[in-house]
Amino acid sequence: MLTSTLWLVLLATSSPAASPAAYVEIPGGAFRSTIRYEGNDGDRVVADFALMQQAVSDREFQAFVLQHPQWRRDRVPALFADSGYLSHWQADDAPDPLDAERPATHVSWFAADAYCKAQQARLPDWAEWEYVAAADPQRRDARTDPVWRNRLFADGTSRAVDAAGNAPANAYGIRGLHGASWEWVGDFSTLLGDSDKRGADDGDRLQFCGATGLSFNNRDDYAVLKRVALLSAMQPRSTLGNLGFRCARSRP
Amino acid sequence: MKSSPTGPALSVAMGLLFCLPALAVADELPGDSVYQVTASLTAQDGRELSSPDLRGRPAVVSMFYSNCHLMCPLIIASGKAVQKQLTASEHDALDLAVISIDPARDTPAALQDVADAHHLDSRWRLLRPLDTDVRTLAAVLDIRYRAQPDGTFNHTSVLILLDRDGRVLARSEVTGLQPDPEFVAQVKKTLVSSH
Repeated sequence: MLTSTLWLVLLATSSPAASPAAYVEIPGGAFRSTIRYEGNDGDRVVADFALMQQAVSDREFQAFVLQHPQWRRDRVPALFADSGYLSHWQADDAPDPLDAERPATHVSWFAADAYCKAQQARLPDWAEWEYVAAADPQRRDARTDPVWRNRLFADGTSRAVDAAGNAPANAYGIRGLHGASWEWVGDFSTLLGDSDKRGADDGDRLQFCGATGLSFNNRDDYAVLKRVALLSAMQPRSTLGNLGFRCARSRP
Repeated sequence: MKSSPTGPALSVAMGLLFCLPALAVADELPGDSVYQVTASLTAQDGRELSSPDLRGRPAVVSMFYSNCHLMCPLIIASGKAVQKQLTASEHDALDLAVISIDPARDTPAALQDVADAHHLDSRWRLLRPLDTDVRTLAAVLDIRYRAQPDGTFNHTSVLILLDRDGRVLARSEVTGLQPDPEFVAQVKKTLVSSH
């Protein structure tokens, strides 16, 4: 018991996870989302918030698992994660040491949600994620540039623009948004909602709502459409080898 | 137990019995129980509870917001309609819990107003979660919701039957005042088997 406690302390002090993750302040603004939510045709207003500079790494996630052993892959309740959860790790509580700085993947939405809450943070909303991901290294909104758009085709693969460790940060100072891994967002389940019912409308409208919960302002933005399609196909307990996450904090 | 006439021998025996791993396992929450989410909730009477406190009895649960004038009253009406089809003893054995997706506005007082307006009996709990727990609770119940710019919400309207340990047994989309007969049958069956 004593030795295992010591081990924990040593790990916590020697690993990068012990130093607080870097958050970057993001100034909010009005933003034309590629997604058009029903009943919301105009710009979306993104409030000031802070976003982790990099995706949560396997080493950081290991520190969380050691502190919250109910999130070990051999103990996690079936409600919270499918059988792929942390399946790439070397042990129930340890990633492959050679890969430990890579973004943590094979992580369910519930696990990502719990990780961020443990940091007094939360998962970013889709709108926040999309707002920051519109930036290239020079411009906060590079989406009209066809060259930038084409680069995004490789999102979620090892050929992605942000996949290399030395890829430049975007104009906000954020890294890896277009990396080898996709990322969970807090409200991913709202991206497509077949069974949504509108709160304040008549019966016919309810039928209509069910079919058209969501549409797109910009069908040319294929990289974003692809991401929405991926996230909307997920269940909150699903895991993928190229789906990780980062956390956000609201401005107090 | 301590005042039992059979004295210390029984106490020791009981103590041993409670140490048996099999009993500990039986007491453990199933891995697919929605009560694996430990959320702090405030009921309409101001009472604080944690989601595992709901454990022990079958329950029909849903999520709603009180500042809603169509689907949310239908959710409650549909829950009441389920109750109406139960015998007196079945009625007393079933809890109903409705969790707010709008904790900023759904104070205990606002929830009490809803309970009063609908003449809800003591089996009903209208619950306000912490703001940070709404998404997690909605995720385990597979209820989707989205805030609209005008202050309303799009949301899944559904009744969900949980067994005494919080496992989802049945779902019924709320489309009108009357619940799906199959759902009611499942509720009755569950109440029989959990006696």
